[in-house]
Amino acid sequence: MDTLSYMVQALFNTAVVVAVALLLPGVINRTRAILAGRKGVTMYQHLNNVHLLLRKGAVYSSTTTFLFRAVPAVYLGATLTALLFVPVGNLRPLLSFEGDVVMFAYLFALGRLAIVLAAMDTGSSFEGMGASREALYGALVEPAMFLVFATLALITGYTSFADIFGLCRGVESQMIVVLLLVCYVVVRVITVEAGRIPVDDPRTHLELTMIHEVMVLDYCGIDLGMIQIAGWLKTAAFAVIAADVMAYALWYNIALVLLAALGVGVFIGIVESLQARNKLSRNTTYILTIVALAMVVFFVAYLLQHDIDIQ
Amino acid sequence: MLYLLFLLLLISVFVVKTNHKVWVTLGVVGAGAVENIVEAAHALCGEAFRFRLLGTQLREADPLSALFMIIISVAAVATVLYSRGYLARYRDRYSSAHFSLHYMALILLYYSMIGVVKSPGGYDFLFDWELMTISSFLLILFEADRKEVRRAALNYLVMMHIGFLFLLTGFVTLSSQGYGTSFAELTVYFAERNPLPLFAVFLVGFGMKAGLFPLHTWLPEAHPAAPAHISAVMSGVMIKTGVYGVIRVTAAVGDERIAQAGMILLGAGIVTGLWGVILAAVQNDIKRLLAYSSIENIGVIFIGLGAAAIGKGTDNAPLAVCGMAGALLHTVNHSFFKSLLFFGAGNVYSQTHSTSLESFGGLIRSMPVTALLFLTGTTAICALPPLNGFVSEFLIYYGLLDGIAANQQAVIASVCGTVALALIGGVAVLAFSKLYAIVFLGAPRTHLVAEAEEADKFRIAACAIPVAGILAVGLAPALFAAGFSDIASQLLGTEPPHFPGADPSASLRAITVAVWVLVAVVGLLLWWKHRAARRRTVESGPTWGCGFTAPTVRMQYTGESFAEGLQTIATSLTKDTVKGKAVDKDEIFPTGHSFEIKHKDTVDKLFSAWWVAMLRLVNERVMRLRTGKINHYVLFALLFLLLILVLSLLNLI
Repeated sequence: MDTLSYMVQALFNTAVVVAVALLLPGVINRTRAILAGRKGVTMYQHLNNVHLLLRKGAVYSSTTTFLFRAVPAVYLGATLTALLFVPVGNLRPLLSFEGDVVMFAYLFALGRLAIVLAAMDTGSSFEGMGASREALYGALVEPAMFLVFATLALITGYTSFADIFGLCRGVESQMIVVLLLVCYVVVRVITVEAGRIPVDDPRTHLELTMIHEVMVLDYCGIDLGMIQIAGWLKTAAFAVIAADVMAYALWYNIALVLLAALGVGVFIGIVESLQARNKLSRNTTYILTIVALAMVVFFVAYLLQHDIDIQ
Repeated sequence: MLYLLFLLLLISVFVVKTNHKVWVTLGVVGAGAVENIVEAAHALCGEAFRFRLLGTQLREADPLSALFMIIISVAAVATVLYSRGYLARYRDRYSSAHFSLHYMALILLYYSMIGVVKSPGGYDFLFDWELMTISSFLLILFEADRKEVRRAALNYLVMMHIGFLFLLTGFVTLSSQGYGTSFAELTVYFAERNPLPLFAVFLVGFGMKAGLFPLHTWLPEAHPAAPAHISAVMSGVMIKTGVYGVIRVTAAVGDERIAQAGMILLGAGIVTGLWGVILAAVQNDIKRLLAYSSIENIGVIFIGLGAAAIGKGTDNAPLAVCGMAGALLHTVNHSFFKSLLFFGAGNVYSQTHSTSLESFGGLIRSMPVTALLFLTGTTAICALPPLNGFVSEFLIYYGLLDGIAANQQAVIASVCGTVALALIGGVAVLAFSKLYAIVFLGAPRTHLVAEAEEADKFRIAACAIPVAGILAVGLAPALFAAGFSDIASQLLGTEPPHFPGADPSASLRAITVAVWVLVAVVGLLLWWKHRAARRRTVESGPTWGCGFTAPTVRMQYTGESFAEGLQTIATSLTKDTVKGKAVDKDEIFPTGHSFEIKHKDTVDKLFSAWWVAMLRLVNERVMRLRTGKINHYVLFALLFLLLILVLSLLNLI
């Protein structure tokens, strides 16, 4: 493949991921509205909201410093860079190298450190609560993410997203169930990473019980807009990976990947309509359960790879 | 002749004025550093680096020694440079001789560390090792009039000598079996006998210095007691001599048993890393937190070493080479960011006279340069891109993921290492975001903190040395880190992996690109935001208080509350001692409370509680014999004679 067509493909790939990011919040909102029997807002309301935010000025707390003002750019920048590693199906992403899964995870960790520090910069006790929770939950969910990568590496023999989903063809039938479970774990990781129900409720109005929302209480205007965009991108990155895994297990097609990625939005919407959020003290148990599930999935994959008879 | 010159220089530290002692020390250490770095560069770059100092022929050092010589020299120069400003405020408290002793010990520490990594092993090695212990003991003792300093220093001295005994046992065993005492002879011994017992003896000996679980308990005691620059050099490079020793011994283990040795190293690394990071996250003293984070990083290095040994044992070249290269690079990286962080902690301590997290807040306003340097160190130690910690951890991850993808024997070990590294990385972000946030961000909690001034420019210059290293490795990993896989493969005696699909240097080049993409994207966003904000109204107001209009600085989240979530999961790792009373839930209008909580390591018991209790018990039992009545003592003498009679009749003695 020559450089030009490679670049075109990579740019198209990134455009698709960004499109998923722009659509997902709408899909989640529509799903919730339909299930609740409400008329609901349009698919594009969140875009209008952020467009408005990006045109506004800003009010900064007098306790904050330059760090607070720089963080939205770091948060969004790290998320954008992580997005460049994510392939849609077997399209090649813009950046890819052996072991890029590690950089993907650590870029999100960079964003997490940035946003936690920004929250603490305000000197507000509420934002401290959110920061402390975010740091803890982010730390605990990390092993689950790496177990997902490990399982994929074990099944395919590759260690970069592009190679895992792009190079390896055909999966033995016994692996399908493992891959579907991997997909499920990734969707569960989204609830932690992107702060959705049951870990966090993005629509809650009580600061005491918030996680992600409380950390950005003091942001407004353009900064808040950037943070919200970063949130969409983060959700989309994981949703596309979940969709890739699903497509990998079932049937390879770009359109199917796209549909599955939006399906993740539907799933999140359904969960948010049917389930209440966890009590905060139960969140650690919830996250450790995801890790345990990821561990079980890995060992099942390992046993299946070695054709060990389970009788 | 050279020794005489050295002695003369050492004496000159005593002769010159207090103000000039630091410059003499800097001269002596700096000259040694230049000489050693030249020698090391010669060894690493070979003939490409032709440079003769004073016309002498350079001795061939091997690459591993060369690497350690460089990091020791760099850290030592930074340390001496830093000491000037840090020790300035002690000048009217201590005599000139006190400073002389300190600087002499510092020079001795530098040369003994160099001696340790240059020595081929044996009794020379042990001599340097002991000199290193004694000189660092003197350095910790700087504030000897404080009781807790004396206690920590003694604790350190005792622990180090337990470790020394193990090393001595190791070398004596070697020589008593008819082998020499060098590391080279160790290879022969390991090839002919079962290497694991002696390997374990050396691991305990070196692990004591390195701070391997459960031998780490001296670290969190010694570091808060020592002056900041001594903590920096001890934590940054001195504990690495333990890692150096373990690498030497591991490299000597033959192919048949190396996988088992690797399992031991990996297991030790995982436990050490997790223990260190969780304990680091719950500490509420800056220097104790940093000390525990050193333990965590030693764990990460051992995970890399273990992966390397397992990879070698199972013929998995990428796992072996990347594990070892990652461990070596992490050793170098940690020496940079840990020195930097201890320097930063020293700046904070000398300006505010406190190391307790709960007294700080908002230092970023009064000490902006220190705050920025500390932020660099924080990001680097959390192994986040685009700084150097990420590069070394990436290499270890790369090896481990390759071990999983290769799908051979090493899968389970590799996945254990991966999961442990992931958890360590996550909790490290928690620990260091807590440290940075409580110390530098928010509003000042005490007036001392609010009135702090920035540190002097020599100390900032000393901090700039490690920062240069952090940025160089972080932003150009292909340039600085790729050579590490060559050193690693040379150490392991394997070919560097150059087959496609397992070449870390290709990934390192790609990381260089990705890191610059990250920097560029963030820069662009900042520029765009700045430009957009120019045309709009930007105001400032109070922090959102959720409707509460009279917030005070004491309502801010404290370090203790920040780590409370983790604390509730990891209760069994620490033993809490509480002073005072916390505010009760039913107190609607609480009155003044004082509350202090300390999280002590449960492993401490291993070295204090149970065997001291046992000794007391034995003593108590024996004390029953001491009745104080002369007739009883005569009876004991009679019984003793009877016992001898009976034993001799039975032909037992």
